[in-house]
Amino acid sequence: MDTYYLMQIINGLSAGMIYALIAIGFTLIFGVLNVVNFAHGEMYTIGAFGGLVCITALNWPLALVIIAALAAGGLAGIVLERLAFKPFRRFQDEASLKSRAMREATLLSSLAVSIIVKELIQYFFGAEMQSIPTQYLLNDPIPVGPLSFSNGQFLILGSSILMLGGLQYVLYRTRIGLSIRAISNNPLGAKYVGLSVDRTIIATFAVGSMMGGAAGILVGLYYGAIFPSMGFAPSIKAFVAMVMGGLSSIPGAVVCALILGVCEALATDFMAQGWSDMVAYAFLILTLIFFPQGIFGARRERV
Amino acid sequence: MNVKNMLLALVAMAVMLVAAPAQAEKTIMLGYSLPLTGSHAQYGEGFRNAATLQLERFNKSGKLKGATVDILFEDSKSDPKEAINIARKFVDNEQIVGVLGDFTSTVSMAAGRVYAMEGMPQLSQTASHPDFTKVGKYQFRNITTQAFEGPFVAKWAESLGYKKFAIVAIQNDWGISAAENFETAIKNLGGEITAVEYFNPGNRDFRSILTKVSRDKPEAIYLCMMYEEGAMILQQRRQLGIDITTFGTSSLYSPKLVELAGEAANGLMLSTTFMPDSPEPHVVEFVTEYKKQFNADPNMFTAQAYDAVGIMLDAIAKVGTDVTRESLRDALAATTDYPGVTGATSFDPETREPVKGLARMTVENGAFKLVK
Repeated sequence: MDTYYLMQIINGLSAGMIYALIAIGFTLIFGVLNVVNFAHGEMYTIGAFGGLVCITALNWPLALVIIAALAAGGLAGIVLERLAFKPFRRFQDEASLKSRAMREATLLSSLAVSIIVKELIQYFFGAEMQSIPTQYLLNDPIPVGPLSFSNGQFLILGSSILMLGGLQYVLYRTRIGLSIRAISNNPLGAKYVGLSVDRTIIATFAVGSMMGGAAGILVGLYYGAIFPSMGFAPSIKAFVAMVMGGLSSIPGAVVCALILGVCEALATDFMAQGWSDMVAYAFLILTLIFFPQGIFGARRERV
Repeated sequence: MNVKNMLLALVAMAVMLVAAPAQAEKTIMLGYSLPLTGSHAQYGEGFRNAATLQLERFNKSGKLKGATVDILFEDSKSDPKEAINIARKFVDNEQIVGVLGDFTSTVSMAAGRVYAMEGMPQLSQTASHPDFTKVGKYQFRNITTQAFEGPFVAKWAESLGYKKFAIVAIQNDWGISAAENFETAIKNLGGEITAVEYFNPGNRDFRSILTKVSRDKPEAIYLCMMYEEGAMILQQRRQLGIDITTFGTSSLYSPKLVELAGEAANGLMLSTTFMPDSPEPHVVEFVTEYKKQFNADPNMFTAQAYDAVGIMLDAIAKVGTDVTRESLRDALAATTDYPGVTGATSFDPETREPVKGLARMTVENGAFKLVK
């Protein structure tokens, strides 16, 4: 065991944290609505481009840029909910709320929004990768003995912990968190006791997409790569992490995202990295066969 | 009798009326299959810009009297299935005499089988897989293959004293052929390859590959990929503190690489066919005109497309207005010394492989410099 494996584990954790950042918002929305939000990758892209505009046009400091990305993501999430999800919740009777078709229609509507957003961004910004001023790049080397870290890795780790902690606090300590959990558990019941289902769902989308947006700008600055289709590849991995983690357990998704990242990095040793996507899909299949509830998803409660 | 004569005269007049303008406005169509959406859309956009520029220039030049040429652009999304559908559409359109594109070797070869079968000349600006021209006798390309470029860089690197290489390549037909050609060339020169690592298109995290590759302590790394991935690798290499010389394929050449990678790009060495700051007048004309019309710098890819369209149009001009798919193919095969912005191009009439010159370049202080 030399520093090589330690370095690979660090590489893997840094990739895993990125999957985790995206998986947090993804899982939150799944937990409440029980539908996959295919446009989550685009919330991530919107956050990145929102931040980019603040950098190139306004020269804001990094902290403000991240707040702007949060705002862009949150706003986009509210618009997304209005366009792709709300129209399918028009009928509030019991049969419609339980109908699978109603829920699955949003799968396609969110996919449609995702394609439209991607093409719009491409129309306005062009399909090329955007260049980022060097002083904003989160890629400065921090050598620690034979290992090499970067400031972006610490920032991403810090924000993951902050987001996860903040989300757990909101979910378990605040009123809106209580209603999110109530609706995710039993939407009809929550409605009958007088909770505003609509308002809670909008709040969930805003929070989940804010996290997506923040992830977008952080990862964009860390890789130095902001482009319209940037959301696709990491959101596939985040999706796998979500399924592995039990579909609606946020800490579960984070842990699985880290496992996934580390396994991918270590797999480089045994197979070409081009095959490392196979690791994710293999995990997905193994989870579905051996843990149909996900590794962390045995409980009934969905958030 | 009178009525019949009058009718005949009327018909004759009508035919002349219809025929006269039709003859003056004869349009010859070309098809261009290229990615305008999807992950390769940035290349397709550049191709389309360059093609319209070249087309405008040609139609104004009066090289072809009595007809104008027009290009029909179709979006292949860089997907072989789409490109095959487009190929069928182009083949069925009787107005189309020749096709340009597609972008990657994989897509070009998939569509190429349709063109070869139906006898449609196809000229790709960028498909550099050795097997592309072996698809059929209708395939042409305006780019040197990796079978030529790999040994070129290998010889250069060997002359600088590098013998032990690691290769990092994108996992597609082109990347694999680039890596394999370089590997054989280095081995033939008595060198050594420590590892060949492939990564999936779309991958942006090269940290684990770089960590693995550097474990074997090669003297240099050879990169076979597009400039965007190249910029990522160079940046992450700097962040990981891996201080190994890098060489690369000509596909890394783009001003955008330096812009994206910043100081991490310094020291990269690569071969190229197109230098935008070359003082040659036709290069200057292309670069200024491109900047003026599209508000962007042309790169190697746009230059390739500009010349490919130029070669195709010149071949049409040689045949004249009654050009057919067959006569266009023969005229293309006879191309000698086409004076393009990527150097003079000739096709070998037998293999249809282009003969072009390559130059050596390195990145110094954030700018590409020609190596004498």
